[in-house]
Amino acid sequence: MRTFQMQRYSAIALLVFLTIHMIVVHYPPFHIDFGIILERMESPVWKVIDIAFLFFVLMHALTGAYMVITDFESAFNYRKGLAWAAIVIGVAAFFYGSATIWAFQPPV
Amino acid sequence: MSNNNAQRTVTVRIQRFNPDTDKKPYMQDYQVEMKPGMTVLDALHEIKTHQDGTVTYRRSCRHAICGSCAMHINGRNTLACNTPLKNEVTHKNTVTIGPLPYLPVIKDMVVDRTTFWEEYLRVKPWLIPPDDIPEKEFRMSQDEVKALHDAETCIMCGACYSSCAVIGLNKKYIGPHALLKSFMRVLDPRDSSPAERLEEVSGADGVYRCHTIFNCIDACPKGLNPTQAIETLRKLAQKRQKLEEARRERQKHLNEPIPA
Repeated sequence: MRTFQMQRYSAIALLVFLTIHMIVVHYPPFHIDFGIILERMESPVWKVIDIAFLFFVLMHALTGAYMVITDFESAFNYRKGLAWAAIVIGVAAFFYGSATIWAFQPPV
Repeated sequence: MSNNNAQRTVTVRIQRFNPDTDKKPYMQDYQVEMKPGMTVLDALHEIKTHQDGTVTYRRSCRHAICGSCAMHINGRNTLACNTPLKNEVTHKNTVTIGPLPYLPVIKDMVVDRTTFWEEYLRVKPWLIPPDDIPEKEFRMSQDEVKALHDAETCIMCGACYSSCAVIGLNKKYIGPHALLKSFMRVLDPRDSSPAERLEEVSGADGVYRCHTIFNCIDACPKGLNPTQAIETLRKLAQKRQKLEEARRERQKHLNEPIPA
């Protein structure tokens, strides 16, 4: 039940973050421009938004993958191990991604 | 007589398999003269009686109420006894019949339903009445009865179970048939343990494993909606303690007349 809830809640959050992402990155007047991207990634507010986006993407992807893999009877018996593997991958990817986003400095 | 009712010969392709002698299933063709009003089960009877006595299938009532003759006909699960043969004849003048998918074949169209019944018993499909049973009768409102009615008409044919893609991958999944029965008991105001039932069905192999593919709805020969039942169980599982309290309150008035 918890996995299901996590996937649904992260899906709702992703709807918000993906809408922001698509508007800001892909649609005019915010077209893809390296200068604008540098300016945005420098801002602490956007760094927090990007880290939150990363968090929900990881949560949604890993819970989804976990549920699909445990649909198979052969994997179903190893679901605790798979859950821990997903947690470890998620935490590692989150810290690595967050550190990269936070440490970003635009070239002078 | 119209062309639709005119007698003609159709090819019935049957999947044959005897685990004792065959390495793998194979298709065998039979020619059957289609008579007006003939069902797929009638065609099978015709073949078994007059052409090949070794063709094996389950059947009993011929009135779509026992659920014995559920089969895979032209790519979908349905009851052979209430499927008109003429509706199934393709443009190649054939009807293809096989056993229910995802279940071990015992012989030809007869499948091993052990997991189907095991999962059914797992949800305790019987009524667990309250301690203080009313002296005369349980009184339920029209709406309460209506909510149960669809689920009550399930004939346990297994068409939904063997059309479920999750069952194809994992036999430990409870399955749409059992979840529909569990839904019926959870909503039944006479039942005293909805929270316990919801706990059972909300485990790792319960309602959250459903992918809402709707195969069970397509397959059900009674037109029932197991997916809707599973969705309802999912919602109720989130607030099972509240439901339990509401049920206890409702059961205090089970022997009182329902206000009009």
